[in-house]
Amino acid sequence: MSTSQATYGTWKRPLKKTGLVGFLTTVDHKKIGIGYAIGALFFLLVGGVEALLIRLQLASPEQNLISAEAYNQLFTMHGTTMVFLAVMPLSAAFFNYIMPLQIGARDVAFPRLNALGLWCFIVGGIVVNLSWFFQSGAPDIGWFGYAPLTSKQFNPDIGTDFWIIGLQILGIASLAGSFNFITTILNMRAPGLSMMRLPVFTWMTLITSFLIILAFPPITIALVELLFDRHFGTHFFNVAGGGKPILWQHIFWIFGHPEVYILILPAMGIISEVLPVFSRKPLFGYPLVVFSGAVIGFLGFAVWSHHMFTTGLGIVATSAFAFLTMLISIPTGVKIFNWIGTLWGGRIQFTTPMLYALGFIWMFMMGGFTGIMHSSPPVDAQQQDSYFVVAHFHYVLIGGSIFALLCGIYFWFPKVTGKLMDDALGKIFFYTVFFGFNMAFFPMHLLGMTGMPRRTHTYKEVMGWENPNFWSTVGAFVLGIGIASVVLQIIYSCFKGKPSGDNPWDARTLEWATANPPKEYNFGYTPVIKARDQVWESKYGPEEKKMGKIAPDSHGIHMPDQSWWPLVVAIGLFVAGMGVIFNGQPMALLLPFLSEEATFSLFHMTAPGLLLTFFAMYMWALEGPGGYHLHPDPEELE
Amino acid sequence: MKWLTYIWIGILLLITAIAVPQCMHSGADATFVNMGGMQSTLDPQGPVAANQLQIFYITLWVTVFLFVTVGGALAFATWKFRQRKGDDPNYIPPQSHGHPLIELGLVIASAALLVVIAIPTFYGIVFKSTLPDYAGEDVLEVNVTGYQWWWGFEYPEHGFHTANELVFPAGKVVKLNLVADDVIHSFWLPKLAGKMDLIPGQENKMWIQADEPGYFWGQCAEYCGDSHAYMLFRARALEESEYEAWIEQQKQPSVTETFSPVDLGDQDEDMVLQGWALFMDHCVRCHSVDANVKGMAPNLAHFAGRTSIAAGWLENEPENLVHWILHPDKIKPGNFMWNGFPQPGDPKGAPLMEGLKDANLSEADAKALAAYLYTLK
Repeated sequence: MSTSQATYGTWKRPLKKTGLVGFLTTVDHKKIGIGYAIGALFFLLVGGVEALLIRLQLASPEQNLISAEAYNQLFTMHGTTMVFLAVMPLSAAFFNYIMPLQIGARDVAFPRLNALGLWCFIVGGIVVNLSWFFQSGAPDIGWFGYAPLTSKQFNPDIGTDFWIIGLQILGIASLAGSFNFITTILNMRAPGLSMMRLPVFTWMTLITSFLIILAFPPITIALVELLFDRHFGTHFFNVAGGGKPILWQHIFWIFGHPEVYILILPAMGIISEVLPVFSRKPLFGYPLVVFSGAVIGFLGFAVWSHHMFTTGLGIVATSAFAFLTMLISIPTGVKIFNWIGTLWGGRIQFTTPMLYALGFIWMFMMGGFTGIMHSSPPVDAQQQDSYFVVAHFHYVLIGGSIFALLCGIYFWFPKVTGKLMDDALGKIFFYTVFFGFNMAFFPMHLLGMTGMPRRTHTYKEVMGWENPNFWSTVGAFVLGIGIASVVLQIIYSCFKGKPSGDNPWDARTLEWATANPPKEYNFGYTPVIKARDQVWESKYGPEEKKMGKIAPDSHGIHMPDQSWWPLVVAIGLFVAGMGVIFNGQPMALLLPFLSEEATFSLFHMTAPGLLLTFFAMYMWALEGPGGYHLHPDPEELE
Repeated sequence: MKWLTYIWIGILLLITAIAVPQCMHSGADATFVNMGGMQSTLDPQGPVAANQLQIFYITLWVTVFLFVTVGGALAFATWKFRQRKGDDPNYIPPQSHGHPLIELGLVIASAALLVVIAIPTFYGIVFKSTLPDYAGEDVLEVNVTGYQWWWGFEYPEHGFHTANELVFPAGKVVKLNLVADDVIHSFWLPKLAGKMDLIPGQENKMWIQADEPGYFWGQCAEYCGDSHAYMLFRARALEESEYEAWIEQQKQPSVTETFSPVDLGDQDEDMVLQGWALFMDHCVRCHSVDANVKGMAPNLAHFAGRTSIAAGWLENEPENLVHWILHPDKIKPGNFMWNGFPQPGDPKGAPLMEGLKDANLSEADAKALAAYLYTLK
């Protein structure tokens, strides 16, 4: 293996592959994927601890373990953290790591843009959570931030500004990643890998990415409007100034409902990969599974007002959104039917990932059923903003998304590390998670139906909600222990896991044709795809379906150069964002030895931060694409 | 390792076995799943809530049917096609790809089930959004305003205001006009109707009706800031004659010439007079005692007749009232009675009205105030 190295532009590009510099300047989709996973698992634990504090406070009536103010901050941050900092980036980790391997690509289309996505995710996560370290505390507006509670009048503290800026920067991360994935999937598939031969997970990556690029612009606009209301005296949401609070809800949910599918479609993709592998049978009704995913994504933009059935939309709008919402259950049901069809007639192997996949179907079905219930506005009038809804979306987001993401971790862990996670231990943790989850969230259905509203700091003893609340708290701790054990097992297995070999599950799709873990260049050859489930067909299929290989020419494989600039852009955005947050605040708020009298203006941090951002973007453009060549092992071609 | 798994599952099952019966019987009356609880939607007392519960049961039975059939198929497939001990792990089952007729049939079947839900849904939407025909002109109208963190009720027909306790005649249609003064709130009286939001600058409408006279609990259902959890209210459906009497009383001036002592230990007329003076110093700029004047804070006219204080969080009992006056911050975090009423334009600046934290009331002062308040019959 030899490398040739050329430098372009003004400064030399970093060469070091290992250590801190290697990580900070990486453009390798696999390292970036691992970066996303580490960040997401960290925030999953943070959000989990927040949830446990919430549950402790609610364990018995009229408690005051946690003050109402802190409680409101906790549920705001729990929601924000889990949606934007745990589930989305964990999905992004799989998109990054697995998708290019599934399509036989060397990397994503824009490797540096990919790095920018990772750094913006980390910067955004830091910004949102930095609010904890200031006296006014974290935002206490709910993850949905309904106007006018978010206005300066009702929320003068900077917590809300941390939330706005953090979400904006996270939006950049999601958008950068999505444009990249769409370009990659549409343009960089291996020869012969037609769209209808794509693994379902890659299909769901594509659909989710489209949802992100269509759903994030509305939230970006809403956040800009809110920021202007708070800082520059506009009146988008201020009634006294002629604005409308309901406008926020519309824009937020035009983002917020597709966001729900952004969280669940990757999970459905993972399940659609894992079920066939452990049933040793192809996915039942592949075209319909793909198509129903697309229909869900499409309808996802037409149902946002079902979050607003109680806001007085009128009979026509309410009915229309109710019926559209009910329609979504058809493509969702189709997926469940097809998963059962996949199991039917197969040879089911109960490995840990398969247990999570089966658990997913059951729990997602439960969450879907309660979803059908409040698709009906008269029913929703009683269930909206009650614990019934809390039960519903935790069934689809933990029982759905998190179960599937854990399933993906157990399934692809050998791919990423070349090591196995212990199956017996994995099963014990699965049962812990499964029981804990149901014990924590099933009683919430009862609480909601008997009138307990959500986002409440405490409740009166006469209401009779103490038993379900108590057992819910017990369940939450069992679930917490389960999730923490899984994370510990991941860390342990990274170091002590048994070697896995190259295809431990006898899996079906193209990512299993590479080594475990894959070489830097992924494939030492260009794979020529002859069938869906290529790896399975190469092993068991007829001769004409076996994968072909095209050797690289004498230059070898072209690899992208590393770069500092994505990181510098993200740092610039961080500084600029902090400047906006502290705009108009006394300087002493940031550092005690600074003046009490003087206040920050946008010139103190935002201007330099933006300068740094634009300078880094300029240097990014100037350094050119670069690249060098690698020569793979001749053995790989055989 | 296998036996460890079994033991652990056993422990988890045991915890579940303890938890399930406990969750099934909760609350003072220990009805099944707390069905009869104070805010239970499973115990409707009026036509709107009854209709909504009926549709809920339709969705419940449809989904139970789906759970049994789809879940049954899933459980059966998982069991039947599992890899058994001694099976060849490398066995390859037939590689079937799907069956269009089965899939089409299932799509049509699920669409048909949705129609079962959709028709009563549409009926329910119309039902809750329009006043019923049988009401005719015989409708009581009440304007409801949501504030951080209390409720204002205005009876436009009679022109008076009251707070945190909605009184209306049983058997009569009550039309509620809902609006918020500050942030968004949501009016939820579970036993009578599902919720409707109160939004600043937008008037929403709903109607309720209680079949029988009764006492109901309600609560704000939209997160509205620090004390959202403490924003409750009560509703009293009275017999027609009792309601008429209540109306007559509300129309009388609340402040009487003679103070009548209530049971507050050793209080006397001096105490009531002292309370009156304190009220004039500290309270009256926000709290009106004239039912015809709205005020910035809950109207306290006819206060002695209310059953609850602090927006339904506490019962209207002398000790509660004294505690509430002395330390509202310990009962409702962030409330304006303690912190002062902020300037709308400058929430961090000097308050528009000073709060009780700057009033330094002693316990004797609080008792005197309570004595005065209980004279507001």
